[in-house]
Amino acid sequence: MRAGPSQDDVRRNNLGGLLRYVHVNGATTRAELTTRLGLNRSTIGALTADLIGAGLVSEAAPRSAGRAGRPSLVVRPESGRVYAYALSIEVDRLRAARIGLGGRVLEQYEAERPPGMTADEAIQPLARFVATMRTGVPDGARCVGSGVAVAGMVRQSDGMVRLAPTIGWVDEPIGEALRSELGGYGRISVGNHADVCALAEHARGAAAGSDHVVYLYGDVGIGAGIIAGGRRVTGHGGYGGEVGHMVVNPYGRPCSCGSRGCWETEIGEHALLRLAGRADRTGRDEVLAVVDAAMRGDSQAQHALRQVGDWIGFGVGNLVNIFNPEVVIFGGTLRDVYLGAAAQIRSRLNAIGLPACREHVRLRTPELGTDAALIGAAELAFDHLLEDPLVS
Amino acid sequence: MAATPLLELRGIGKSFGPVQVLRDVGLSVWPGEVTALVGDNGAGKSTLVKCISGIHTPDAGTVLFDGREVSIGSPRDAAGLGIEVLYQDLALCDNLDIVQNMFLGREIRWGGVLDEATMEEMAGETLRNLSIRTVASLRQPVSRLSGGQRQTVAIAKAVLWKSRVVILDEPTAALGVAQTAQVLEVVRRLADSGLGVVLISHNMNDVFAVSDRIAALYLGRTAAQVKVTDVSHAQVVELITSGTSGRSGAPS
Repeated sequence: MRAGPSQDDVRRNNLGGLLRYVHVNGATTRAELTTRLGLNRSTIGALTADLIGAGLVSEAAPRSAGRAGRPSLVVRPESGRVYAYALSIEVDRLRAARIGLGGRVLEQYEAERPPGMTADEAIQPLARFVATMRTGVPDGARCVGSGVAVAGMVRQSDGMVRLAPTIGWVDEPIGEALRSELGGYGRISVGNHADVCALAEHARGAAAGSDHVVYLYGDVGIGAGIIAGGRRVTGHGGYGGEVGHMVVNPYGRPCSCGSRGCWETEIGEHALLRLAGRADRTGRDEVLAVVDAAMRGDSQAQHALRQVGDWIGFGVGNLVNIFNPEVVIFGGTLRDVYLGAAAQIRSRLNAIGLPACREHVRLRTPELGTDAALIGAAELAFDHLLEDPLVS
Repeated sequence: MAATPLLELRGIGKSFGPVQVLRDVGLSVWPGEVTALVGDNGAGKSTLVKCISGIHTPDAGTVLFDGREVSIGSPRDAAGLGIEVLYQDLALCDNLDIVQNMFLGREIRWGGVLDEATMEEMAGETLRNLSIRTVASLRQPVSRLSGGQRQTVAIAKAVLWKSRVVILDEPTAALGVAQTAQVLEVVRRLADSGLGVVLISHNMNDVFAVSDRIAALYLGRTAAQVKVTDVSHAQVVELITSGTSGRSGAPS
């Protein structure tokens, strides 16, 4: 029989809880921490002292006392001193950032990723960005590790990119390559782009406070980051959430994955541009141009947007029936398509979503914009720290 | 969700001489929600808003705010309750900067002089809380802002002054696609931060993109007030054009 949690377990758990609270919510008074975490005042005092000792938080008197009585001290994360490196490998660009505890983007770099760029070629600029950032890190600052977001299917155990059709990679050991390139600076965790965007929006964006979230990311392909009961749903190997390959139309078009009628063949960038009579073009700006043309009354663009909106509604309706989320977030170019085709999306969702599953679902656009991937990648690195703040 | 609407209108009637513009109109505005007010030209949307904002006094009906019956006899009464109406032409002063506009008539003084630093900080924080990141400097005159940015400044002003109900009259009319998206997101965040929002719009996409409820007026009557999770685009269009919808049942 397993014994109950030891005193050390309880303390580690409480330290993690407190640190996570200020990491997510920012500067918080001790009084509020006492209420929010359900611990007594002296415990909060002792935990805070431990975290200050470890250089993870700082404490100061509030600027102005709003009420009578001794003002409660404000605990804030040491965003400037504790940080993670965040890297993002996307279809058309590579990005790197240094992100402070509390989710603050301290500095950020970006390079184009020309089509056909191999994994080896992509590692180099990312390593250079990290090297540049390292030179500017203030003395005494502490790196907790690195997180990487890749627009593809990532093996959770070692960060192997199994398949990234939109980038054109198969079985690329990105985690391994970065580990040897960046070595010595803590753990490197690799995650799927939509998954980490979901993490970021859940921690500090449009899904803050919601524990059942479907984050849809769209460009050429469609992926989802799913959070259920406050936890990421990654599946056995880390490959879950490939909603772009739900088959919605068995008689539809062939998909890049080899199947036919996948969701992304009906709602991805190529589908919208093809329906709008612009099959020769690609990219975010071209998607925006279709939405813009539809707003100005171009009937072919309107037709394209409505048809894609209807198909989006089909898929979202299915996801809502399966996961019963509180929030569905439309990221990437799906944000613009959602705002331009919300009437069709909502109508179809209402038609096929079961009333009990859909009645409280909120449809939202992201709040963190393009920073979400970097902030979310950093969350992967911070997660290790938050689980056990004083070790690691 | 709150148990009572923030603002509730019951049986509102309004005539101008022999012309009865509103008959027995009801409308509920809940905190944390966007309620879209839709209807054809001449359905009575503007008159209804003027009754809420104190420009017109209704001939019949009751207005409840926070569950208490109130009488709104003037725009000052409406402002006192925390009801703010943002019209298409946005009452912003072109020659003043963003901070000056947001504090116009309610400047913070420290001793005899204006406390510019505090005002700038408060204005910046309000914009940040609405995730408005597109404004480069708080000290640029609003004449230099785009239509969408002006709209977001006007919305932020309402937030800064602790408005509880914000009514937006066609906020995306005449805006381009990028700015429309930006304004819609701010409208949504306004409600997500706990305010009651009324969105008047002719654009069904805008309505479906951000609303929680849709109130349709038809020839001066309330055709229906429905939840956005229960209707289709076609049903709303039917409510607007014929006052009833076969599939969504009887008027509520």
